[in-house]
Amino acid sequence: MLIFVSGKGGTGKSAVAAATAIDFARRGHRVLAIDMASATGLAAHLRVPGLDYEPQEVRPGLFALKMTRSQALDEYLKVQLHVPKSLPTHQITAALSVLADTAPGVREIISIGKPIAESRSGDWEVVVVDSPSLGQFQSYLGAPQAIADLVPTGNMLRLASRMRDILLDEELTRIHLVTAPTELPILETQETIATIARERLAPVPKVIFNRVLEPSGMSRSDLKHLGDGPLREAATLQLDLELEQDAWSKKLAHVIELPYLFGVLTPGEVAEQLADDIGGRV
Amino acid sequence: MTRTIIIAGAGGVGKTTLSAALGAAIALGGKRTLVLTIDPAKRLADALGVSELTDTPTEIPTQTYGPHGMWAAMLDASASWEAIIHRYADPEVGARLLANPYFRAIADRFPAAQSYAAGERMAEYIESKQFDVVVVDTPPSGGGIDFFRAPAMANDLISGKLLKWLTGANLPGRGFIYRFTAKPILRIADAVLGGPMLSEVTDFLLDIRTMYDTISVRSRTIEGYLKEATTLVATTADPTPIHETRRFFSELDGIDIDPAAIIFNRKLPESWISQANKPIRGVQDPALRAKAKANLRAWAAEARRQADAADEMSARFHVPLYSVAWTTPTPQSMEELATLITDSGIVADLGL
Repeated sequence: MLIFVSGKGGTGKSAVAAATAIDFARRGHRVLAIDMASATGLAAHLRVPGLDYEPQEVRPGLFALKMTRSQALDEYLKVQLHVPKSLPTHQITAALSVLADTAPGVREIISIGKPIAESRSGDWEVVVVDSPSLGQFQSYLGAPQAIADLVPTGNMLRLASRMRDILLDEELTRIHLVTAPTELPILETQETIATIARERLAPVPKVIFNRVLEPSGMSRSDLKHLGDGPLREAATLQLDLELEQDAWSKKLAHVIELPYLFGVLTPGEVAEQLADDIGGRV
Repeated sequence: MTRTIIIAGAGGVGKTTLSAALGAAIALGGKRTLVLTIDPAKRLADALGVSELTDTPTEIPTQTYGPHGMWAAMLDASASWEAIIHRYADPEVGARLLANPYFRAIADRFPAAQSYAAGERMAEYIESKQFDVVVVDTPPSGGGIDFFRAPAMANDLISGKLLKWLTGANLPGRGFIYRFTAKPILRIADAVLGGPMLSEVTDFLLDIRTMYDTISVRSRTIEGYLKEATTLVATTADPTPIHETRRFFSELDGIDIDPAAIIFNRKLPESWISQANKPIRGVQDPALRAKAKANLRAWAAEARRQADAADEMSARFHVPLYSVAWTTPTPQSMEELATLITDSGIVADLGL
């Protein structure tokens, strides 16, 4: 199974991706986590100093790797396009990386090709991808179609249509979108779901609410009994956020709610706690 | 001279809203101000009091924003690229470029092309001399860093680096290139792209090369504006934005751009931290007292985390840090947002 975890920036998608991978591994599955977003801290959430292109075992049953474009390009040339080893690979990679920087869709298809290939390799039961945030994620999902529009024939087209079949197969591919139950993340997530459905990019995404506040049990009428100062200010903030959360969470069907984790936690602690909360529910 | 302010930062930290709020705060101080946004949420257009933003600056229809007014515009990358072609290409080449599907694909859905178009637009507004201040919200591509790199990237593209890879040092004439099939790189490119696309790419590169002199000069001009601009990095206390802020400072340093300040968004009051452990007086109902105390403790832990992150960042990067308070309910009007920015002290410190 191939699970892409994306979401609006700032909603905690890397933490949820790490927690999803940890949860599957705890339940005895052989799992690969892929950092495709490159800027984010999947490694920190998995408590390792860094990740490489080669998978490393970060805890029993859980392996992780970080995508780098030049290595993905190398692998793509050798494995997918069967470029003979006799050719000067270094020079070709350099030239193609310029090409990939300019030809629309090439970079994206090479990047998304890696998790797809890993999920088909037979080495893993579950591949969890910490994907780029919503806008860029859509252009990754759309890359096979973009290529098909631009290239009427050839290897790349064959590869693109095979990728598209896998991305659209509900048995193989899942899209998890992480959002906070507040206005802008909800609206942007709704737009992404609509685009994915309209352009038939992937199966219908499942929505994960992150940073959901527990009700404090206080009400507005309590505020006047709290004097002036931090006690009342913090209660007002909490109640305002609860109100906003109640209004916006109704607007989007979701499969699970993960809690707001307060205070000084390391990224590793955050991922462990979220994995406890997921507990097999995704 | 037009003063330019660029707001960089990770996605989700409120960059677009901060840009608009900063623009409004500056306009209130009596400067003619333009806010150039990239992808504003509908709420922002609502807050600005206009039904929708377009590529052409719209005057915000209110007397609120100072004696000289405030304008807002939204980047339309595709339209901007057409304008670039009309402005810098000779008509025959321009027509061919606009009809080339590869060029259309680049202009429409290529994030780095959006970054270049944003830089070009910024330069046009600076040169128009219509505004005292231009506030630029940056596109999310490459974590926001592409906006600063785009002129150099455009220069690389048109300098013919790719074309040389494809054809060798001696540029062949149009059409001749396809007979080079013995060249390994061309065989590979053909395998990757397929013949028709390769020919479109090559046509595009040959055409865009005729614009080399103009675009190369233009790229340097835009780079000059980027270096002269005041760059502000927006962040929150969350791990990803903090990580991105570090990356911004190191990558911007690599291209000789020094951010002037950090804007720390959604900051909680530090007064909550010390108050959380003090005994509570004056709340009669013990159940309410317990609930309110637990609530303050939880939020005080957040405030502590933020304060630590803010201290760490200003010590590490040696720049002033301005805190924009986390207020609820979410401010719906530009006046409220402008007040938050003004209260942070940044407008006065920037001399605006």
